[in-house]
Amino acid sequence: MVLGTYKQITLARSTDKQIQKISQDGGIASALLCFALDEKIIDGAVVAGPSEKMWKPMPTVALTSDDILAAAGTKYTLSPNLWMLKEAVRQYGLEKVGIVTIPCQTMGLRKMQSYPIGVRFMADKIALDIGIFCTENFSFESLKTFIQAKAGVDFDLVEKMDIGKGKFWVHTADDVISFPIKETHGYEQNGCKVCLDLVSELSDVSTGSIGAPDDWSAVMTRTDSGETIFSKAVDAGLIETKPMDEGKFGLEMLTKLATSKKEKAMKVIDDRKAMGLPVPFKASNEKEGDPLANV
Amino acid sequence: MSERVVISPTSRQEGHAELVMDVDDEGIVTKGRYFSITPVRGLERMVTGKAPEFAPVMTQRICGVCPIPHTLASVEAMDDSLGIEIPKAARQLRELTLAAHTINSHAIHQFLIAPDVVPEELMVTAINSVSEIRKTVQMVVDIVAGEGIHPSDVRIGGMARNISEIARKRLYARCKQLKPKLDDHVELIIGLVADKGLPEGLGVTNAPTLATDVLYGDRENFDLDRFTEIMPESWYDDPEIGKRACSTIPLYDGRNVEVGPRARLATFGDFKDRGVVAQHVARAVEMKMALSKIIDLLAELDTSAPVMADFEINGTGKLGIGAIEGPRGMDVHMAQVENSKTQFYSCLVPTTWNIPTMGPATEGFHHEFGPHVIRAYDPCLSCATHVIVIDDEDRSILKDEMIRI
Ligand SMILES: Cc1cc2nc3c(=O)[nH]c(=O)nc-3n(C[C@H](O)[C@H](O)[C@H](O)COP(=O)(O)OP(=O)(O)OC[C@H]3O[C@@H](n4cnc5c(N)ncnc54)[C@H](O)[C@@H]3O)c2cc1C
Ligand code: SF4
Ligand SMILES: [Fe+2]
Repeated sequence: MVLGTYKQITLARSTDKQIQKISQDGGIASALLCFALDEKIIDGAVVAGPSEKMWKPMPTVALTSDDILAAAGTKYTLSPNLWMLKEAVRQYGLEKVGIVTIPCQTMGLRKMQSYPIGVRFMADKIALDIGIFCTENFSFESLKTFIQAKAGVDFDLVEKMDIGKGKFWVHTADDVISFPIKETHGYEQNGCKVCLDLVSELSDVSTGSIGAPDDWSAVMTRTDSGETIFSKAVDAGLIETKPMDEGKFGLEMLTKLATSKKEKAMKVIDDRKAMGLPVPFKASNEKEGDPLANV
Repeated sequence: MSERVVISPTSRQEGHAELVMDVDDEGIVTKGRYFSITPVRGLERMVTGKAPEFAPVMTQRICGVCPIPHTLASVEAMDDSLGIEIPKAARQLRELTLAAHTINSHAIHQFLIAPDVVPEELMVTAINSVSEIRKTVQMVVDIVAGEGIHPSDVRIGGMARNISEIARKRLYARCKQLKPKLDDHVELIIGLVADKGLPEGLGVTNAPTLATDVLYGDRENFDLDRFTEIMPESWYDDPEIGKRACSTIPLYDGRNVEVGPRARLATFGDFKDRGVVAQHVARAVEMKMALSKIIDLLAELDTSAPVMADFEINGTGKLGIGAIEGPRGMDVHMAQVENSKTQFYSCLVPTTWNIPTMGPATEGFHHEFGPHVIRAYDPCLSCATHVIVIDDEDRSILKDEMIRI
């Protein structure tokens, strides 16, 4: 199954006007974290917060809804959120930590929990992982370079960036500029080329925009805790849902993109393996069962 | 006729040591000798010539039982050599770290002596109690010092960072909740030790006590001029043992001493009792003192205060002393920094002080009690070992002039 194991898949968005305004898509990541904090399901969360540099995120321990909202919106560059986990459980003394992770971080998180080497007494304190979809990510310098080159706008003027409908979108105060996502190729991190996971298959709840109309999110609940918290937030009226379209603009598209990400990555993995290069995934011929499995 | 009883290695303690007792016809010990047979660590050699920051990171790895005192003694020695005054909040965080570690370490020791004093039907209760206590105090060390075993945040000049306000409040609440449990635990242990009915006077020696502070450690109370060190060959009357023993013999005013919880209570309080039972009682009582101190410190701590001093790492070659009252006694590290490098480093660790006192403490009672006497000191050998065996066959040690590692 290219979308990983899940309990339910649906479209959803936050009903909070403020979250709707500042969030990337349906504001599911922010809404769920705020709800979990209010309900004491978590006592803080690691998020990609703001830094002194515009668009350069800083992994941050959010202790209030305000801190969570300050991190809303996607920053298309590296935010090593896992790195902040230890500080969250040590100096911040958190015992029920929430975290937002892109798929590779989700994998790292689960690995940390399975083999807690160097992270003693931390694995058991992860209470909620919200995984967000990810096709690729960029180093800060490459992001800046291609935005200025392809969109022709000063990086400081950018108000929002987004990936969708095969394009990279750059919003400024008075313009929306787009260019084909293909043109960003070569700028992405090298590691993304071997990444088999679009949808954070190992998270508690995963969310992204693929398969959802504008300002809505696609949501998959995956674990018992993920399902519980999502349904509670829906019941509390903080999140509204509507069924996902099965067809071309919904589930079909999500499945197609997840499959093509895996197929592309498998090719690169196989090539690199054939050259004897180290790759943290199995080659096709080393896999038992699903040849596209995220292993 | 005199017979020899040898226990090798002595058990339920950290590291390897041997207890050699000469006994008379009734089995009464007439001569007791306790000595380390743990291989040398040589950490002091490794840190010499390196950046001063390396010393606390390295010396905390001398031993997994008391890494906290070694870290603290190391940074205190460096602070002293570099002439650094650390901020008040940093000092509070360091004191918190040590107090929590002391409770943890004492609780582990009570687990180690459980087979001696805890009856079968109370074993589960006693062990659960130990675990519960350790869980809370280790959380204090984890949060305050960054890591429970090898603390990453205790630094030369202070601490890497202050804790957050939620962490402070949370620890305060947890430690307050622990208080009644710890009180019960201490009462249980003291009661069980009394019930054991050990013979009156067991383990009593006339060795003077040595301590620098009630709980934390104070270099002002350690006088280097009164300290001398001799080789094991000139201490043990048996040349074979003198050859095999792996620790030097430290003396204060020319005498062997006792360090540890009982020594602290006797030096700074009016604790008069001596011997095995007194040592167990003192250790238990000290857990309560340490917890009260933790609670007070957490109540006072200003989490927005700075915790790192401004300083230059060059050094003037001043001999810095760090004296920390570890769970097992006074732990002194000495360091000299010049040209931004550690030029000299030496550790005078708790059990080293107790080793020459522990053997004679077994004398006058049946040899069956020997292990009880030894365990009452909660010995930890790995940091005490300071000489190296060069030939396993004849067990000879490195030459005197080469062994100061
Ligand atoms: C590098 C990257 C690539 C992505 N690619 C796709 C894609 O191809 N298709 C798709 O559908 N979705 C993609 N997403 C996810 C999407 O952009 C939204 O983040 C997601 O839909 C959540 O939106 P929201 O409105 O629920 O979140 P919001 O409420 O806006 O919150 C966003 C959350 O994401 C976190 N975050 C922001 N930037 C990062 C970062 N760099 N690393 C880790 N966490 C971060 C923030 O901490 C915040 O909590 C990508 C996200 C990233 C970071
Ligand atoms: S594509 Fe994969 S490896 Fe690259 S940033 Fe996204 S999740 Fe991480
Ligand atoms: Fe030790």
